[in-house]
Amino acid sequence: MLHQFKQVLFPQLKPSKVFIPLFNGKVSAGFPSPADDYVQKTLDLNELLVQKPAATFFVRAQGESMLGAGIHPNDILVVDRSIEPKSGKIVICALNGELTVKRLARVKGKWKLKSENLDYPDIPVHEELELVVWGVVTNVIHPV
Amino acid sequence: MGCRDQCDPSRVMQPLLALVDCNNFYVSCERVFRPDLIGKPVAVLSNNDGCMVARSQEVKDLGIKMGVPVFQVQHLVKQHNIQLFSSNYTLYADMSARVMSILEGFAPSIEIYSIDESFLDLTGVCEKDPIDYGQKIRKAVLQRTGIPVCVGMGPTKTLAKLANYGAKKWKHTDGMLDLSDPVRREKFMKLVPVDEVWGIGSRTTAKLNQLGIKTVWDLATQPSKRIQAQFNVMVARTILELNGIGCMSLEEISPDKQQIVCSRSFSRKLTDFRELSEALSEYCTRAAEKLRHQRSVTGCISVFIRTNLFNPSEPQYQRSASIKLSAATQDTRTIITTANRLLKELFKPNYKYHKCGVQLSHIQPALSFAQNDLFDVAGNSLLEKSDQLMQTFDKINRRFPKSLSMAASGFDKTWIAKAERKTKHYTTDWNELVDVMCV
Repeated sequence: MLHQFKQVLFPQLKPSKVFIPLFNGKVSAGFPSPADDYVQKTLDLNELLVQKPAATFFVRAQGESMLGAGIHPNDILVVDRSIEPKSGKIVICALNGELTVKRLARVKGKWKLKSENLDYPDIPVHEELELVVWGVVTNVIHPV
Repeated sequence: MGCRDQCDPSRVMQPLLALVDCNNFYVSCERVFRPDLIGKPVAVLSNNDGCMVARSQEVKDLGIKMGVPVFQVQHLVKQHNIQLFSSNYTLYADMSARVMSILEGFAPSIEIYSIDESFLDLTGVCEKDPIDYGQKIRKAVLQRTGIPVCVGMGPTKTLAKLANYGAKKWKHTDGMLDLSDPVRREKFMKLVPVDEVWGIGSRTTAKLNQLGIKTVWDLATQPSKRIQAQFNVMVARTILELNGIGCMSLEEISPDKQQIVCSRSFSRKLTDFRELSEALSEYCTRAAEKLRHQRSVTGCISVFIRTNLFNPSEPQYQRSASIKLSAATQDTRTIITTANRLLKELFKPNYKYHKCGVQLSHIQPALSFAQNDLFDVAGNSLLEKSDQLMQTFDKINRRFPKSLSMAASGFDKTWIAKAERKTKHYTTDWNELVDVMCV
C-alpha cells in the first residue's frame, strides 16, 4: 500500500513528537508487584507547546533583528493566534505585506512595534491592532 | 397526548440553525500566509490549472465567473495582474479542519456541509442575542485562523442558507444576518430573486419565472397545492422551510462537487481505537459510495477525531491529518485502509472521543475510459463486484498490458505536471513553513 502514496502529510506536530518514557518506580516494603512498579506515560511535546491546536501555527524566522529575544535565524516559532496581543508580547505582524516578528509595546497610549536590536528603529502602529497583528509567539524552537 | 411540557409554548424552544460559510475559502487560505495578496485580485485554479475555482472579491468585481477557463480571460489576467495559484488541497484541508473544530466549540452539534461550510444547531444556545453570538463566531474564526466567514441564521436550514447569502451580499449586515423574525424575513425575501434559494436550480427557476414567481417571497407564499401539482416534492419542502417549518435535519453526510465530508457525533463517547476505526470505516464506505455515485475519484483523504469541544470541563484532544494520493481512487478499500492509517497516527488513548470523520477532496471526474468501464459496472458498488472487477482487470492486463498502465500513469501526470503555481504546504510540512522576517 505504501508505494501508492507520494507523500504522507500530517498537519499537527506529529513529526516532532518525542515519546519519553517516564518510569515511576516505587519502593515497597511489602510484596512487590513488578507490574505496579512501572507506571508508563509518554511525554508529548504538543501538550507543552500547543494549547490551541486549531489556532497554532509554526513559522520559520529569518533575519537577526530579534536576537535579543532569543530568536535566531532559522528558528521555528510557535504562534498562537488565539492569544490577545498585549504590550510586551512578541508578535507576528503583517507589515507592508510581509510577515514580520516584533515586540509589541504600549508607549504613551500608542502601540509600537520594537525590534530586539538597537540598529532597528521602532515602528508606530497607525491602523487597528487587529489588522496588523497576525499572531502571538509563545515559544522558540532553537537547535543548539 | 401527555405532552404538556412540549405543548406549553414557553417550554418549546424555537429552533435556530446557523450556516457558517468561509468567504472565498481557497483564496482566503492563500492570503493567510501571503498578506501581500490582501486587496489584490487572486484566483485559485482547478486541477491541471485549467479553470478558476475560487476568486477573490476583486476578481469577481471584474465580472469573471466561477469555473471559467483561464485561457478565456487571459487578457484580464494580464491587464489586472491577477495572481493565479494551483489548488493546494493539503493546505485547504488543514485550514478547513481548523475552522470546523473552532465552530464545534460554538454548538452542541454541527454538520460539516462542505470544505468551507457548516450548519450549526444553535437551538437554545444564544436566544438572548443571536446577532452577538454570530459576531463572536466570526471574530473567533478570523482571529484564530485568519479566515473570514459569514453567518446566516434562521429556524430552518434553507432560511439559514438564505440568510448567509444576505450576510455575504450586503455589507451593512456586517457578515451576520438572522432571519428568525417573520417581519424581517418578508422584507428580505421580497428583495431576493428566487434562484438564490438553496436547491432551486436553473431549470426550476425558469419554470417558476414563467409562472410569475420571481422573488423568494413569491415562492414562499405559493399555495402548496399549486406547487405540488407542477413541481417535485423537493420544491414543496423548500416552501415549508422558507416558512420556518423544518423539513431537513442536520445530516452527517453531505455531497458537494469539490469534496465529500462524512462525519458524525457519537451517541456515546468512544475511547477504544477499534470502535473509532469501525465508525470511520463506515463513514469511508458511505463517502466512497457518494464519490462513485457522482462518477468521481479522490486524490486527498483527510481524517479528523475530536473530543467534545462543547464541554470544556473534559480533557480535550483534536487532531486531523491528510494524505495526498499519488493515484486518484474511488476504491472503498483504498479509502478505508488509508483513512485507518491516518487514524492510527492521530489516535491517543484515554480520551473520550465525541466525533470522527473523513473528508475526500481533490475530487475530479473519473474521465478515464478505463475508470468508467471498470469501476462502474452496471452502476453497482465496487465492493460487491470486487472479485469480478479484479478478474476483468487481470484479463485486460493480460491482453492489453499497455492500456492499463496508461490509465494509472495518466492520473499521475495530471497531478504532478500541471500544478505549476502551487504554494507551499505551510501547515503540514516542516520544510515548507512560512518565513517570518526579523528585519
